[in-house]
Amino acid sequence: MTTHQSNDFVGQRFPRREDQYLLRGEGLYLDDLAEPHNTLHLAFVLSPHAHARILSIDVSEALEVPGVVAVLTGEDFVSLIKPIRPNIEMPTYLYTDRLALALDVVRFVGEQVAVVLAESKYAAHDAIELVQVEYELMPAVVSLEQAISEGSPVVHEHVAGNIAFRGEFASDDFATKHAAGKYRLRERFRHGRVSGSAMEPRGCMAVPIRGEEITFYTSTQIPHIVRTEIAKHVIGCSESALRVVVPEVGGGFGVKAQLYTEELISVALCLKYRRPIKWVQDRREDLLTNTHARDHIYEMEATFDERGVLTSLELELYTNIGAYSSSPFGGTIETTGGARQIVGPYKLPNYAYRCYAVTTNTCASGVYRGVAQPACFMAMEGIMDRIARQLNIDPLEVRLRNIVLPGDMPWVNVLGVRYDTGSYQKCLELARERSGYEDFRRRFPGSRLKDGKYHGIGIGNMVELTGTGAPGWRVRGLQAVSGIDGATIRVEPTGKVSVFVSQANAGQGHFTTFAQIAADHIGVRPEAVTVYEGDTASTPFGTGTFASRSAITGGGAVIQAAEKVSNKIRRLAAHELQVEPNDIVLQDGRARVASDPSRFVDFEKLCLLAYSLGKGALPPTEVYGLEATEYYDPPVVTVANAVHIIEVAIDAIDGRVAIENYYVVHDCGKVINPMIVDGQIHGGIAQGVGEVLMEEIVYDEHGQLINASLLDYLLPTALDVPDLSTLTIDHVETPSIDSLGGFKGVGEGGIIGSVAALTSAIYDALEGIGANVNSVPLRPSHIASLIRAARQSAPDPEATRAKQELTAAH
Amino acid sequence: MSSIETTTVELVVNGKRYKRQIEPRLLLADFLRHEIGLKGTHIGCAHGVCGACTVQIDDKTARSCLHFAIDVQNSEIKTVESLATPEKLHPIQQAFHESHALQCGFCTPGILMTTEEFLRGNPNPDDDEIRKALCNNMCRCTGYVNIVKAVGLAATSMSAAENE
Repeated sequence: MTTHQSNDFVGQRFPRREDQYLLRGEGLYLDDLAEPHNTLHLAFVLSPHAHARILSIDVSEALEVPGVVAVLTGEDFVSLIKPIRPNIEMPTYLYTDRLALALDVVRFVGEQVAVVLAESKYAAHDAIELVQVEYELMPAVVSLEQAISEGSPVVHEHVAGNIAFRGEFASDDFATKHAAGKYRLRERFRHGRVSGSAMEPRGCMAVPIRGEEITFYTSTQIPHIVRTEIAKHVIGCSESALRVVVPEVGGGFGVKAQLYTEELISVALCLKYRRPIKWVQDRREDLLTNTHARDHIYEMEATFDERGVLTSLELELYTNIGAYSSSPFGGTIETTGGARQIVGPYKLPNYAYRCYAVTTNTCASGVYRGVAQPACFMAMEGIMDRIARQLNIDPLEVRLRNIVLPGDMPWVNVLGVRYDTGSYQKCLELARERSGYEDFRRRFPGSRLKDGKYHGIGIGNMVELTGTGAPGWRVRGLQAVSGIDGATIRVEPTGKVSVFVSQANAGQGHFTTFAQIAADHIGVRPEAVTVYEGDTASTPFGTGTFASRSAITGGGAVIQAAEKVSNKIRRLAAHELQVEPNDIVLQDGRARVASDPSRFVDFEKLCLLAYSLGKGALPPTEVYGLEATEYYDPPVVTVANAVHIIEVAIDAIDGRVAIENYYVVHDCGKVINPMIVDGQIHGGIAQGVGEVLMEEIVYDEHGQLINASLLDYLLPTALDVPDLSTLTIDHVETPSIDSLGGFKGVGEGGIIGSVAALTSAIYDALEGIGANVNSVPLRPSHIASLIRAARQSAPDPEATRAKQELTAAH
Repeated sequence: MSSIETTTVELVVNGKRYKRQIEPRLLLADFLRHEIGLKGTHIGCAHGVCGACTVQIDDKTARSCLHFAIDVQNSEIKTVESLATPEKLHPIQQAFHESHALQCGFCTPGILMTTEEFLRGNPNPDDDEIRKALCNNMCRCTGYVNIVKAVGLAATSMSAAENE
């Protein structure tokens, strides 16, 4: 990397430029875009049954609704859209293709069976109520436990036992080494099912322009993947005639990093009717049909020595992927993610896993912030806590004895994943010192019951696998998720800088952070840089914004392109000033002679040469233009790390959990903008608190989703999350040596750490009374019943006394 | 095709009077967004839960997704578009900017309208009062940490301006 720039905008708390229009209410989200006058609005008829055969569909009454133009069913789409199939190459993987609209059979509540096209949204919604569908019910399989049990009904006839994919791994001579373990424990961890629930539901609008072309606006995190996949699936759609534009996106969290049927249908109908087609989702559809996440079972057996050092781990992992493989991640991303990421910051020497992707009559699962990591680290940290308990060693000490140490770096874990740099020991020690951990242990040497509350402290010691590059996706069988990202940088004729990045931001502040990076590497102020994203017509191909990748992959591409452009600026300046290019320094839009700073030339003047706009001539060895496009393929993964420590107080009667203290030390390598990094951590923590304490997608035994509204699917409010007085965030900066710029991702660390630490804290509070906390969510009713059951089997004298005191007080 | 029955609604939005012929069932949120083009008010759930569509009706906050436009005939509505001038953000907006109290920005207009009403009634709130005031507006990005901070900062800067 060059050292010719002395700019340091990266690392500064640079205010967000996107705030100005968002705060004024001028952000244009999908439903805010101007609709062409002849727009047709879509509304979908959703299956009310989890598993049923469609016998007949009568659309005649719906067609009578004023404003309704057409009502289409599955048959109409057979010739319009190919079955949706993610491109997965993995042994044992069975495709579970989905049709854009169900044809013969529906396989989850919410699966689309008909679509209404109408002149207004109100008319479209009136009409869907009038579509009569006759169903013949089929046996539904809903839960993971049911799906893998003997004799369970199957979701797809060709998927025996509902196992759509099985993966396995064993390190050398695993069985022998596992059998030789000195101490041993088994545990089963269960993680529930959650919804990402961005505040903006999804939506899309396909607009025909210039005859055969379509501009397709969609609320997505992956514009280039969506474009390619639409061109592959919609018959008659040419990729070069399809421009995907991402408007302002009101939160994504992975839920919008999927290809959805409505997107394919909107483009297909736009081609068919040559009219603008618009669809905006409502919240019920969001909860019923947007990909869900987690829903895992971890069966684990660990062996360890007398010091609590892990000697082997055997994992059997089941993940519920729903009725169909989501695209492009194929439903296996949670499965392979949980099995492959669980190793975390620990020096596990011997490891074997078997993992299963299980189909059920529920909505497809897909990527959601953290992907499998909140669940697998909840399990791994649970193992650490149980080792500590079994050997009577402090849980933080057990973790310290197992982590990868500075002298081990770079570390290659048992699965072959390289951790280039990290600060596992430093962060754990800092956390012990700064979180009040030892003080808590001193305050509660024995019983955890005090003033009617059980007190506990928990640790989430985690790594975050970020910025996955091409080889990282191939190893998981994903062929449609490239791994590379691209950037084009152009210094315009007036010297201002345009940066085009292959990503699509949903609140992460890219217009600010990429400007900081470009400014540093080109030698201008960030104010001179404008960032463009989310438009396939202007940005180079790339993978998109998810899985904590933008800083690394987009940032890397920006650095590469900026270096190329700045090298050319330097050569042009050297020619103008008659010095060597190495003697040129770029700063504030000026190229200056390092050895004689009084001599300089403005970029604007060099641009006249580059674009042939003045009297001067381009040096004969140069070509016109001042721009570069570069693609960056980052390392397999770049590993960030953090420790979360949470102190809780649990009401002994009603089971409510209060967070008394929350400490985080986070290391995402070189920080681009500390304000934005903290914001990412805050948001992740809130989602993690929701995931552990309140959020859960609940299907009944018939496969009805019984909480498909925000009244019933509880999102954390301002009263549910840790407040400033209890939250401390420290940063350690250990730059990556593998990724450009030294960046590591930060989008998911907050949720990963909080789920693990909060579960660990509740375990810590209650293990003394014999309650085994090994599942989330942990709603008050669940915790209260754990406490009651524990007391009944082994009455804790102190608990009894406290209860008597409380009863007396009341 | 039978014709759709419409009715006349007249109301004042951000100081400007509007008269429109609408379907009686048109939601206030849709009226603001699609009849008069004020897209700053967002619809996050349409069930009155998330608070993204919060506006002020005669200076009191309300969910615009739960009101029909004709229900608020002749009322004065204020939306997020009423807060800033072309030159200057409202002090609450400025505080949100300085505190990094928004990420995707979708919930922000509703939160700003809630905050404006709250600070009018309680110019010097503590953090607990702020949290309670905000608990009917959901945000999925920020974890509320910086929103609480921003509301406190806005209160301070508005009180200071008042005392000048």
